[in-house]
Amino acid sequence: MIMTRTNRPRAAAMAGALGILLMCWTAAAHAADAPTSIRVGYVDLVNAQILAKVLHLTDKSVHVPVTWIKFGSGGDLNRAVAAGQIDFGGVGNPPATIGITRGLPYQGIFVLDELGPVESLVARSPIKSIKDLKGKTIATPFGSTSHYELIAALAGAGLNPADAKILDMDPPDAFAAWSRKDIDAAYIWEPVLGKMEASGGKILMDSGTMARHGYPTWDVGVVMTDFAAKYPAVVVNYLKAECQAIDYWHQHPKESAALIAKELNLTVAETTREMSGTYMIPCQRQLTAGYLGTPEHKGKFVGTLIATAKFLKAQNRLPGVKDDAVYAGFINPSFLVAAVKR
Amino acid sequence: MTSLAVTLRRTLRIRDAARPVTPFRLLGLSTERLLTIATITAIVLAWFVLTRFDLVNPLFLPAPAAVWDAFIRTASTGYQGSRLDQHLLASLERVLAGWSLACVVGIPLGFLMGLSTKIKAVFDPVIEFYRPLPPLGLYTLIVLWLGIGEESKVALLFLAALPPISISATEAVAGIDKRYLTAVQSLGATRGQLLRHVILPACLPGICTGMRISLGFTYSVLVAAEIVAATAGLGWMVWDAAKFLLSDVVIMGLIVLGLTGLVLDLLLRRLERALTPWRFI
Repeated sequence: MIMTRTNRPRAAAMAGALGILLMCWTAAAHAADAPTSIRVGYVDLVNAQILAKVLHLTDKSVHVPVTWIKFGSGGDLNRAVAAGQIDFGGVGNPPATIGITRGLPYQGIFVLDELGPVESLVARSPIKSIKDLKGKTIATPFGSTSHYELIAALAGAGLNPADAKILDMDPPDAFAAWSRKDIDAAYIWEPVLGKMEASGGKILMDSGTMARHGYPTWDVGVVMTDFAAKYPAVVVNYLKAECQAIDYWHQHPKESAALIAKELNLTVAETTREMSGTYMIPCQRQLTAGYLGTPEHKGKFVGTLIATAKFLKAQNRLPGVKDDAVYAGFINPSFLVAAVKR
Repeated sequence: MTSLAVTLRRTLRIRDAARPVTPFRLLGLSTERLLTIATITAIVLAWFVLTRFDLVNPLFLPAPAAVWDAFIRTASTGYQGSRLDQHLLASLERVLAGWSLACVVGIPLGFLMGLSTKIKAVFDPVIEFYRPLPPLGLYTLIVLWLGIGEESKVALLFLAALPPISISATEAVAGIDKRYLTAVQSLGATRGQLLRHVILPACLPGICTGMRISLGFTYSVLVAAEIVAATAGLGWMVWDAAKFLLSDVVIMGLIVLGLTGLVLDLLLRRLERALTPWRFI
């Protein structure tokens, strides 16, 4: 068949339509064999995902039982991903970078949260600036967004990690050590951050400011690649629930604070403080250039992942950095596009 | 005494000569030795084959060459600020400090508990209560009490090392054949002589075994003891590398841990032979 100039676009449109039809058909065929249940790994951070859990938005949307599995940190969650024990999860940009570089089979499908002052560098007097941290003992959970920001903040003040004694501690251990005056400073998240500030700590730096200095940190929602290929409709429904939860967070801040406080065993005051330090991005905005972007034009998150990978490589925390396309391939906004459309 | 030793040696030689030569006896190695070598070879071979033909994800099981690279890298340039020998030394210092402390405390304590039911009634419930507690759970409390320095790490290792030693010492003392004691006492032995010539030698085998079990146990708690706020140590290295999914370093660290554990056990066996030679003739 010889194609003239005029009917070429029409043929392309027809092919496109056929493709979409085929996609819908396969999606429908796969949706028929839905999973018997889904497993969601989460870290007990104050964010809208907790609302999706307590308001039962997720189970109502995916129509199958949901098992929520709590993890201490993104690093622990990575290990569960490696063992194939969860279907959905959420990790900060450093654990995500580590996972992608080490070949974990998952994709980033939405923005869980963007970190502001909810994670900060706190120190006791007489430490007044980051430069004063030279030779001091600092605690932070290794492999976390806080660890990443700490090293970057020290570098910004002209200090090497070796100039201070940096210890790997989870928030509760860090608070115990802080109370015993075993540590001088910590880059840590709420609610332990607030407790340290209340007992004489001074905030030297926060993740919101670090983001403006070129070191943004965020948590990205992930799905296992196999699961997404097998049950695309479930992924879309899962995301619809997450989007509803984010809208609820913005529309009902008081109710959200009460619900989250109850779920995470925090006071409402602590929760409100944490909520103001954590930024929830409405789903429509997640598809703009500052975040995930669109499937055709991926957003700034890809650049952050690549920057994080180079940074971790320089710190000898990664054996090597993968091709840029690998990090771009991790960010997959297509499910979110479908979720906000319908 | 000498005649007894001579008789013993003679009987042994006779038994040695009478031992049948098994068909598996190759290169002067016993069947048991050959089986051990075969097992290790099979494991290493399976490791080579699985990784060579991409049968497993390298994230779970890196190739032997990658693990060897990690070993060379860590031994020369180090892992996060410390070379492998520094990690090893940091761990050995902790383990040996905790374990020796447990020997110094545990052996006399076990002795006393074996000799007096009243002393046993005081200490036994405490040891029996904390013994089955998971080390990590115990550790959170120790960190609160003793801080994040070496004290808390050695304390945890000490607590892990103590029960096997004190319990085996108690059992060893309590298990002495009463006829030995009455026989020596009837010959007019003093309490001191009784302790030195009968009770101590009779207990030594039990105590030695307890010390060996205890060292193995202490070693197995090492990772837990180094999780909080360590910057060097084999256990810490393994834990830290796992956080960053560096499985080559993890496996290398575990192999080094296992091998050093074996060497320590071998040294203790030597000590056991030196202390209780009559059990090995």
